[in-house]
Amino acid sequence: MAASGTARATDYASAAEVLDTIDRLEADVDGRLAAIARAVLPAQAFVASVAADHARHRVARAALRRRLKLDAAPAAGPPRPAGTSLAALREAQQQLVHAHAEGLPALGDARAVDLLARHMIDASRHLTVIDLWIEAEDQRG
Amino acid sequence: MAEARRHFVLRIAGAAGVAPAVLGVLGGTGPVLARGDETDLGILSAAVTLEHHAIFLYGVGLKRGLFPSGLRAYAVEFRGDHQGHRDTQVAIIEERGGRAPEARSDYDVGRLTPGDAFVREALRVEIAAQEAYAALISHIDTRDYLLSAAFILVDEVRHMTVWRRVLGLKIY
Repeated sequence: MAASGTARATDYASAAEVLDTIDRLEADVDGRLAAIARAVLPAQAFVASVAADHARHRVARAALRRRLKLDAAPAAGPPRPAGTSLAALREAQQQLVHAHAEGLPALGDARAVDLLARHMIDASRHLTVIDLWIEAEDQRG
Repeated sequence: MAEARRHFVLRIAGAAGVAPAVLGVLGGTGPVLARGDETDLGILSAAVTLEHHAIFLYGVGLKRGLFPSGLRAYAVEFRGDHQGHRDTQVAIIEERGGRAPEARSDYDVGRLTPGDAFVREALRVEIAAQEAYAALISHIDTRDYLLSAAFILVDEVRHMTVWRRVLGLKIY
């Protein structure tokens, strides 16, 4: 990636917009992972680990919204059917990583930057695991 | 940051020549840095110093064939990332009228052993870089550098995760 993501970065206007976007993208990743876990049993440990990280992140973001006096996260709608494509999962996960990175400058609060940067570290780790998974699948042919 | 890891990050950063004020932030012992251009330049200099160190280590590893042969492509990719991080941050320093720290001709990287032992050494440098960027990022004042630092941190996590996987360590 090599910092190249800055070339066409989304310019977020507010912390609320950043947090709403992260909530939406995270729910998309969760839906895709759940579909994959149902289809690919060996994926369940990874999916459970990501789900635990996301649950922890949601709690922390909710607390951040309260501290910044922002509205609570929009209620999640019913889960949408998601496919089991690893490439689509990777794309969704990359969008989540980019939303964290591109959102940091809009937060205007050092503690919020620290928190979402640490969540971004988890998200980037998840993205790399997905990359390694895809590489392994490709090698298996 | 656990005490042992904090000590390790400080040792790597200190050996690489990071400024005392920034070392204080990394060690959790220094005063809170006032946000502004001066702090940004201190962080940029520290980051460039760490990138020089990482580039040196990867360069030695590639030149002497210390990476396991199947992992050479990762090493080349990661060295390229570190060179990109260096160039990005040097450009930001120069745009602001500062002078970036130059690479040393040599670094104390200890006794280097080929194979998994060298991958462990690369992992240690990546952990130090990731910990340093994670500790410093909330002290950055300007939007352009904060955005660049965020994407650099994403790269460092990728490097760290790949090397952990190679060494059979937990990645999730």
